[in-house]
Amino acid sequence: MMRLRLVTALLASAAALVAVTAHADNLVTKDRVGPADAPKSFTLRLTNDGPTSTDPVWAEGYQKLFSDFIQRHPGWRIDLERMSDNIGQEQARMLEQAKSGNGPDCAAVDSFVLALFKGANVLKPLDEYFTKEEVADLFPFIRDGITGPDGKIYAWWWNTDLRVLYRNKEIVPDAPKDWAGLKAAALASKEKGGEGVLFNGGRWEGTTFDWLANFWAQGGKLVDDKGKPIFAEGENREKFLKAVNYFKDLVDSGAAPKRVATIVNYDEFNAAAAAGTAALFIGGNWQYGQLKNTLEPEEFAKWTFSEIPGPTAGERSTGTGGWTFGAFSNDPEKVAMCAAVIKEIYAGPGNALQQQLPTAAALYGKYDIFKTPANETFAKALVNGQARPGVPIYPEISNQIQIMMGDVLSGTKTPEAALDAANTAVQAAFARL
Amino acid sequence: MTLEAREKWGDALTYLTAILIAAFFLTPLAWLLSLSLRTRQEVFLGASRFIPKRPTLDNFAQILSDPTFLLYLWNGLKLSALGGLGCLLVAAPAAYAFSRFWFSGKSALMMTILAFQMISPLVILVPLYRYMSALGLLNSHFGVTMVYIAVSVPMCTWLVKSAIDNIPKSLEEAAAIDGCSRFGTFWRITLPLAAPGLASAFILIVILNWSQFLIPFLLLNKDAQLPISVAIFNFSGTSNASTTQVLAAACLVAVVPAIVAFLLLQRMIVGALTAGAVKG
Amino acid sequence: MPTTTAAAIGAAQRRVAGPSLARRLEANPFTWLVPVAVMLGVFYLYPILDVFRLGLTNASLVGNDERYTLVTLRAMFENPALLDILKTTFVFTFASVIGQQVLGLAIALIVMRGERRKLKGMVALRTLVLIAWVIPGIANGLIWQMLFSEAPFGAINSVLRMIHIPPVAWLSDPNIAMLSAVISNVWRGTAFSMIVFYAALKAIDPTLYEAASVDGASGSQKLRFITLPQLRAAILVNSILVTIQTLNTFDAIISLTGGGPGRATEVLSLFTFNTVFRNYDLAGGSVLSVLMLVISLVLALGYASLLPRREASE
Repeated sequence: MMRLRLVTALLASAAALVAVTAHADNLVTKDRVGPADAPKSFTLRLTNDGPTSTDPVWAEGYQKLFSDFIQRHPGWRIDLERMSDNIGQEQARMLEQAKSGNGPDCAAVDSFVLALFKGANVLKPLDEYFTKEEVADLFPFIRDGITGPDGKIYAWWWNTDLRVLYRNKEIVPDAPKDWAGLKAAALASKEKGGEGVLFNGGRWEGTTFDWLANFWAQGGKLVDDKGKPIFAEGENREKFLKAVNYFKDLVDSGAAPKRVATIVNYDEFNAAAAAGTAALFIGGNWQYGQLKNTLEPEEFAKWTFSEIPGPTAGERSTGTGGWTFGAFSNDPEKVAMCAAVIKEIYAGPGNALQQQLPTAAALYGKYDIFKTPANETFAKALVNGQARPGVPIYPEISNQIQIMMGDVLSGTKTPEAALDAANTAVQAAFARL
Repeated sequence: MTLEAREKWGDALTYLTAILIAAFFLTPLAWLLSLSLRTRQEVFLGASRFIPKRPTLDNFAQILSDPTFLLYLWNGLKLSALGGLGCLLVAAPAAYAFSRFWFSGKSALMMTILAFQMISPLVILVPLYRYMSALGLLNSHFGVTMVYIAVSVPMCTWLVKSAIDNIPKSLEEAAAIDGCSRFGTFWRITLPLAAPGLASAFILIVILNWSQFLIPFLLLNKDAQLPISVAIFNFSGTSNASTTQVLAAACLVAVVPAIVAFLLLQRMIVGALTAGAVKG
Repeated sequence: MPTTTAAAIGAAQRRVAGPSLARRLEANPFTWLVPVAVMLGVFYLYPILDVFRLGLTNASLVGNDERYTLVTLRAMFENPALLDILKTTFVFTFASVIGQQVLGLAIALIVMRGERRKLKGMVALRTLVLIAWVIPGIANGLIWQMLFSEAPFGAINSVLRMIHIPPVAWLSDPNIAMLSAVISNVWRGTAFSMIVFYAALKAIDPTLYEAASVDGASGSQKLRFITLPQLRAAILVNSILVTIQTLNTFDAIISLTGGGPGRATEVLSLFTFNTVFRNYDLAGGSVLSVLMLVISLVLALGYASLLPRREASE
């Protein structure tokens, strides 16, 4: 009897689900753009930047962009695939699929693994779809990133980001100029009941990325021109240790709480800002918009940002990343459609919609949204931007830096010992590449 | 009298320990519920607002009004149930053989099958991925169901065997005398008689399948195909921590079906588990 | 009427001619094992063989030319981190096995005593413990992450703050992070041990206790000289299954600590996962998979050899 009732309940809920998923038969659905019976179709794999975004504003904006797009290209249907936010795993999985010929026709490729995709020869050249001028207008680090050894472009890098130091002006009135300034400001903020300065310190890519600014600001290099890891040699070693010791000192002195070693999400900073426990954090440029949505207007007004302090006021750097699109299809028609998606939806309109920084200087003048003081500041800071080295060994270097950071910040290892361990592991992995 | 007094003290001690243990097991779920009923502002008040001042169902409304979330739940249910059903189909004949036949090497074979239970899906993860890709079974619920079946078949075989062991052979023998084939007997006599045991094995496997993470995570790409166990992991990445309350609600939505199924059928499941355990 | 007679004769003739193929097949036990053998062969055996093969290559998710080499094997075993990973795995597994069984036995004893004395709430207690067991691993990690959160508004730490105890570095201190991981694992896994012990306790002959009572044995003496020896098989079964289960756990850890801080909670299964999906190292991941397989099997055989002979052969 009980079972019967359960089965009935299950069937009823199943029926409800079917009803829910069956309705809404418009041009843009969860997994398709365009009519279901279109003669031609291609698969497009996206991140959160698309019609299925978890951000309602983005989702709506992209639904409109995609809807307009498909009306301009009759006869086509786009089959949407959605990547999760576990970017590392997703990108690895996509690479494996592309190599076995099962990849999507067109997909979002993280700029930081683009080199791996280029090296695996799975991307199709896109030169014929972009003009010489368009390519020349890209920021240099962007252009280098998408160009293959044969001089062709294998992807289009459409947005970029950078890291800055956010602060609550009421508690920290002046932007810290250098490392010592940040430490002093963080300690001072603690006296007003805060946690000090927050930054990523757990086991994830953000930890490496954010911290590297301190290494790069001194002119440190992770790899040489041939892609060999050299961060533990000669003067790079000193610079590396100096940057590690700086973070260690922040935690040891109490300027940063011990819990930074558990932070694996930029959103922790938004939460701390909303809870009013932190007055300083190192975060991404996109968080300015998030803070605006999260905080009450009068609270948001207290927040501002400045460049990440370097060892001295004259040495500055910030990590830049962003997303590219690449085509995997063997069908030239589908590759052309992929390029059309990039040009008509993402490079420009997409930047404006998501307020994500364009990769070409010309676009900053084109959209009003990038003329705001905040975005102008970001654009200026991009001058000190540095992309992560696009070499196959980078993921392992990053992994080892994350481990090192955990070991150093928790006091398990001295910076020297942690660096040596990281270097040993990286060199062993490099030898096998 | 002294004995009675000692027993009374023992009762008090039993209750005290029981309460401590219950607190340990209840607290995480209670905290989850507390968070899921809070507004964003109240989340930042920590434990001082264990009982929210202005409890809200908005977080659940947000989760459940998202059609994809219902789809994730449906996918989870579908994959778990198909996996459970397929598992029974595959395991029942083997369980019958282990219960009703005598042959050399039987116990060794049974141990071998059980040994598969000890292999993590992680071990076979990478080749399986390439393999499924070659078979064209990626991004298909069929492929995932097959792997679910393979993963749970050893346990299922043992559970069904102990269910069949408990059925008197005389009924089957009577059927055989009436000219019924062995398979016919198995299908028409043994299985119906073993129905309660089969049902509890089924429920148990379904609940375990509900928790599967690695297999669907690896073999499914399309958002619309994901079961809730994977979706919740992805969701935890997309939501920002300032929406802890929504994540809490999502977690509850993901665990409640398993808990409800378990509560409804707990007698059966505990029976199956203890039967298996005593045999094992 | 004639037709039935004909059918009867036909049947009789067939019987005389010997059993049909179908009958011969169904009389052979191995026929019945075919579905299981096919499933396990296709989805387990073949991939496992492939894991061994891949471990002897340089396969990666990013390179194209796959060739056979022993370099991977050497590199994985020469990796100085491997020893730390194994130590972490050992601590996590050992602590979980002990923790789950002690707690599981305690709960089973309490429920048994409660049932004997007809105390209220024993079914509720048992149910509550079992509920934790049906929670998916990922959700388990997420829930405990909220509890252990070191943000000022984190669950446990905000309680500690209210009663003026300094906050604990649940996830940022390497040693405490391991403890936290074990606690969350014990929370979810205890139910299984409890059920096994509960069943085993029910199976103990009550006359043993009556005889002991007559001899004036105390409660702790009964536990030591009757209960524990009688539970020997249950303890071994539990140890095997909890060990295997814990060795394979990584979903709960990945969503709780991600393996950090540093490598403090990076167990072998998570290390394997990271090797494949963060370092794209297919061959290295395969070597680690084989290592996991070997450890599981050696432990399982080790425990099994401790089982009383009679039950092992049953």
